[in-house]
Amino acid sequence: MSGNGSSLGNLLEVSGLNVAYGESKVLFDVGITVKPGQVVACVGRNGAGKSTLLKTIAGFIKPSSGTVTADGANLVGLTAYVVAGMGIKYIPQDKKVFSDLTVQENLELGSYASKDYEWDKVYDYFPKLKTLLDRKAGYLSGGERQMLMVGRAILGHPKLLLVDEPTEGLAPSIVSHLKDVFGELKKKTALVIVEQNLPMICAIADKIYAVSEGHIMAEITERDQIKPEVCEKYL
Amino acid sequence: MSLVRWWSGLVLAFALLAVLRIYLPLPFAIEIIIFSIYTLGCSFLLGRVGFISFGQPAYLAIGAYATAFYLFYFGNNPYIGILIGVAAGIVGSFLIGPLLVRLRGDYFALVNLALAVIIYYLMQKVLADITHGDNGLWYLTNMSSTPVLDLTRPDQFFIFAFVVAFAIWAFFKYLDDTIYGACCLAVKVNEDKLRFLGYDNFKVRLTAFVIANTTTALAGALYAVYLGFVSPEITSPARAADPVVVTILGGAGTLYGPIVGAIVYTGMKDVVSKVIGNWELIVGFTLVFIMLAGEKGIWGSLEPRLDRLMARVTGKRSDEVGQ
Repeated sequence: MSGNGSSLGNLLEVSGLNVAYGESKVLFDVGITVKPGQVVACVGRNGAGKSTLLKTIAGFIKPSSGTVTADGANLVGLTAYVVAGMGIKYIPQDKKVFSDLTVQENLELGSYASKDYEWDKVYDYFPKLKTLLDRKAGYLSGGERQMLMVGRAILGHPKLLLVDEPTEGLAPSIVSHLKDVFGELKKKTALVIVEQNLPMICAIADKIYAVSEGHIMAEITERDQIKPEVCEKYL
Repeated sequence: MSLVRWWSGLVLAFALLAVLRIYLPLPFAIEIIIFSIYTLGCSFLLGRVGFISFGQPAYLAIGAYATAFYLFYFGNNPYIGILIGVAAGIVGSFLIGPLLVRLRGDYFALVNLALAVIIYYLMQKVLADITHGDNGLWYLTNMSSTPVLDLTRPDQFFIFAFVVAFAIWAFFKYLDDTIYGACCLAVKVNEDKLRFLGYDNFKVRLTAFVIANTTTALAGALYAVYLGFVSPEITSPARAADPVVVTILGGAGTLYGPIVGAIVYTGMKDVVSKVIGNWELIVGFTLVFIMLAGEKGIWGSLEPRLDRLMARVTGKRSDEVGQ
């Protein structure tokens, strides 16, 4: 399924995207669109190409063909740090923070890059971080690391957050907290979330793309269709 | 962090070094100071940015020969000679850096080693007409006395080198506390993630490369003025591992590791060698022991213990008691 949707009002448009790792093709003619303030989810099995899609948008992987545009600007060929500078922040799956740095230093890195030193909004979403400022990030729990990564990414008022499997391996209470945070964040920024936790993602998503073996198998936009039992058949 | 606390560790370290001077012969004390500066560049690259370099003698030689060329051919003021050595270090690092900092790990180490070999043969053979080959350049008597501190007198040269070292350590300590210092550690831990935040890793690595190797070139310039003589031996590939060994011995990436490493290494070279001919054996065994004991080096292992001790004395948490 190739690119779809009108270009009018779209924050992000991915169209005819083909990506390969050497000889191995991973994404086939993929197209997605994201409007401002939307939460768009990509669901699918492991190895379906969801993370590759996010990394390609973020500038880490150069596609073999296709277009990626954000606010009309072509992102293909731009390096990751330039894409990040344009307000498109990628939050990777592995929850690896800069372990030798303290929480405060991790946030400072985010602040300096985005010229945004207003940490109150980070504390509003994640009050716990305020109590952990002096702690080395390497000593944080998985949930605290995810809070730090999201908190760091929202500095600078990004227009789009690309979030890769944010709830993987986290306790239910943290998952619930992150769901609320993403629900709040969508008022200010668009999100593309790769997620396998269907109840969580269906509760906040405005649109879901089902990805399988590098193809977009379905685009679910009807609110009453965005539910775990509908998505499940694509997993 | 209060300014007093910020300075206290630095002042204490150099006060101890000054006290040590009372008990040590002057040449030994000068050797420690210059070798510490030499090692600091290597320690910064390895411990802060994750670059292991076996090519530090190349940058030492750039600083030393630039100073030596000035003092042998053009002038006689040691201060200007040192400034020229530092300037050569900056220019050389900016010219070489863009090619080398793209390389990773072992390739960076080996290409740097190759650079040291190239510079060695350039100075020994190819440019022998101006470097005088193995005979080296001698200009000790060319150097003029200088005002304030006469660098031609070893006792006053020690004071100058000591002040320079203090300034360099204050600079690196300041660097540790800046966003750039955090960027260096971040690029070492995970450079991809630094890009997610909007940083250009290449610029971070290149800046670190220039800072580290300019520091090394400064050490070369100091050697050139102190010895009044420079030969290709300064960039000998046989000594390429020295700064790496001293870095690991002292504790890579720690602020005071290079000083501790230089004291131990120079001490072994000067003291143990009088008793045991193959003193390198002792260095080898010490390194193996340090690696087995936790890979943090002497200062890297001592520092947390001192922090805990200070915390007990001052009643603060150990992570609040920094260097």
